[in-house]
Amino acid sequence: MTAAARPRRPGALALIGAENLSLLIALVILVAIIASQDGNFFTARNLFNIGQNMAVTGIVAVGMTIVIVSSGLDISVGSIAGCASVAVGLMVTGVGSIAGGIAAGVALGAGLGLVNASIINYLRVNPVVATLATLSAFRGVAFLLAPDGKPIGVLDQTFAQLGSGRILQVAGFPGVPIAFAILLVVAVLGHLVLSSTVFGRSVYSMGGNPAAARLAGVDLNRMRLAIYTISGALAGLAGVIITARTSSGQPLSGTGLELEAITAVFLGGALLAGGKGTVMGTMLAVLLLAVLSNGMNLLGIPTFYQLVAKGLLLVVAVAIGQWRMALAERRQSRATAGGAP
Amino acid sequence: MNLRGRASRPAPFSSEAAVPDPLLDVAHVTKSFPGVRALSDVSLRVHPGEVVALVGENGAGKSTLLKILSGDYRLDEGRVSLAGRDASHASPLEARRAGFRLVRQEPEVVPDVSAAENVFVGEWPCRGLRVDHAAMRRRLEESLAEHGFAGLLDPAQDGRSLSPAQSSILEIVAALKPGVRVVAFDEPTSSLTSEEVERLFALIRRLKARGLGVVYVSHRLKEVLSISDRVVVLKDGRVTGDAATAATSEDEIVRLMVGRELAHGFARAETTRDEVVLEVRGLSSRWHRDVSFSIRAGEILGFGGLVGAGRTELAKVIFGEFPRTGGTVSLQGRPVAIRAPSDAIAAGIGLAPENRKAEGLILVRSVIENASMAVMRRLSRWGILRTGRMVGAVSPVIRALEVRTPSLEQEVGKLSGGNQQKVVLSRWLAAGPRLLILDEPTRAVDVGAKAEIYRLIDRLARDGMAIMLISSEMPELLALSDRIVVMSGGRLSPVIEKRDATEEIVVSHALGKGLAA
Repeated sequence: MTAAARPRRPGALALIGAENLSLLIALVILVAIIASQDGNFFTARNLFNIGQNMAVTGIVAVGMTIVIVSSGLDISVGSIAGCASVAVGLMVTGVGSIAGGIAAGVALGAGLGLVNASIINYLRVNPVVATLATLSAFRGVAFLLAPDGKPIGVLDQTFAQLGSGRILQVAGFPGVPIAFAILLVVAVLGHLVLSSTVFGRSVYSMGGNPAAARLAGVDLNRMRLAIYTISGALAGLAGVIITARTSSGQPLSGTGLELEAITAVFLGGALLAGGKGTVMGTMLAVLLLAVLSNGMNLLGIPTFYQLVAKGLLLVVAVAIGQWRMALAERRQSRATAGGAP
Repeated sequence: MNLRGRASRPAPFSSEAAVPDPLLDVAHVTKSFPGVRALSDVSLRVHPGEVVALVGENGAGKSTLLKILSGDYRLDEGRVSLAGRDASHASPLEARRAGFRLVRQEPEVVPDVSAAENVFVGEWPCRGLRVDHAAMRRRLEESLAEHGFAGLLDPAQDGRSLSPAQSSILEIVAALKPGVRVVAFDEPTSSLTSEEVERLFALIRRLKARGLGVVYVSHRLKEVLSISDRVVVLKDGRVTGDAATAATSEDEIVRLMVGRELAHGFARAETTRDEVVLEVRGLSSRWHRDVSFSIRAGEILGFGGLVGAGRTELAKVIFGEFPRTGGTVSLQGRPVAIRAPSDAIAAGIGLAPENRKAEGLILVRSVIENASMAVMRRLSRWGILRTGRMVGAVSPVIRALEVRTPSLEQEVGKLSGGNQQKVVLSRWLAAGPRLLILDEPTRAVDVGAKAEIYRLIDRLARDGMAIMLISSEMPELLALSDRIVVMSGGRLSPVIEKRDATEEIVVSHALGKGLAA
């Protein structure tokens, strides 16, 4: 019992998590296949691109992990990113403040997340339906915010750095995309919040069994307010980065983001039923998806096929989760029936 | 009687022997799971009109055997025959068709359809293409009346609104649908009141008279002794005893089950102190009218009553899960406004709910996460958990309760029932509330673990905790409580002092005073 007080995992595995090992293996195989087919994969420029491309999905997926672990879902993230994109465009071009623009984008995202949570909490609408509704409604808001519904050109060079700039560029080392560095910070914070705060524990417990969580003192409504606000704020941040990369505040920014983020979370080992999932798993899955899409581009696979592949991957990700759960259930019934210690 | 039954409906396989063939013949069955041998060389026979009790501690192999019979598991070695036919490798559907019916301990109920539809799912009575709901309800009403459960539930009510007792009754009625030859009851009385248990026993006697075979699995040895013809004892997957009930005794069965003598008739010394911890005055709610009582430090106040009398609801009203419409709740002399469970916990109240899987535990999370839920807020700084302090608070409790788990990181869903219940209790022990509400604390817990839990509750009271104990198990209620109140129809009886408390008095209050005679 005393030895049991400490987790008994070896160092490297502890960081990745034993349950994410299969993802890591899949990633290595995928990289090996792509690199053997195309010599350009391991070039600094290509790796830089992958890092930059995964940033937006990754940031949204961190928020989505928290949502899905709590047994919710947020389909509106892409539309929230669109609203934030327009908002930051208006702030940077109109007021001329980059910091103000970023703050506006993130704050608008948080506010829209709060709207989601309120609909779920107080109108008692199922999260899937609530955020499906706001997926449409928020996209409309994005168009309404933009003058005449048109994209806003954001030509500020400093602001553009947020999307395509790099840091840590020293002799020989091409540097790290700023967007990727932001993702890293968000992911580390997300990981810490889920794994070692009262809030994180409460997220897992409400996802695992809302009735028991409530009776153990978790205020479910307040939790949802926080969870969807975080998801919204991160979607807003993603919208800001998209704006910086494309130099335009577009109402259509972030379209399809929900699919990528949700796929990543499920592929990363979260359960649809809630209560299980880690930021580390999600991040590995985001990397896997980015490498996959990069590889398909390098190998010249047409976009249409890529869309089909993305859809298939979501099905595969959830199917793996279901299969794992069935396996665990079987093991569990064995343990109780067999009189495990 | 059996002979007549056989003459009117001769079975093709029957011989002309005077002793009837067994309805259920389990011969030398062995079943292993990775790392555990769950059953080894288990043999058991059930003859027509015979009630065979299957007893053993949690993990002895009872559930495994039942699941092999119901077709959920496949056996490794040995043979099972049902009514003379080989059923060793029957699928669940085949086992059902062959006449084996299992009444599960925790039945699965579809929450969104009526009680009637839960019974007739898959074989809905139809009028043309439309499901005939009225006929379905009528048929359930008839079955309930036929089996002696009339009036205990409404066929039209939602699956969601069924209490555990009502779900069990529904499961029993569903098991007795035509074609039944052998019924196995898995802990059928764990959620029933003593009055409902009587009805169940009357039903089992009628099933016997009809020549059915009955397998009766229970931890409650008094019931086993009163209803069974033969007792089969399992220990660690082996049969350690198989004897006519008349020729055995409770002590002998216990000895065969656990391999040691257990101190029976748990008795505790009174530990009540002067200080009043909980004072409830004139409380009313959707379920209650004008409920008043108080619990002192060190006192165990027992709540008796029928299932559905409103005891669980009372616990939840006090705990802030259900709204209170009137009256006051005071803790240590000060009125408290409790609007949610989190308020109750902050005020120093703990609740271990009746249904540990549905309301007590997060089964997919670890022992330490479950056990630390009520203390994690206190043992954190700025919302950041201090893992060391949490392990320090939880692991002594887990050790003291002798929770059998390979580690604190083990998923709670993988522990046995008794150990799961101890994890629920450890959550509140670690938190150290002033008032602890225990709702059926030993439901579906084996004899050994039960005694440990009694000792624990006693120790908590001795340490000065006020305990509100809801129990439908009469010996438990009488042995643990310092005073007893009985709830009936949303009202409380006057307090019954320990020296006056008898089973009869509690039952007569539970049934309403008119029947007390």
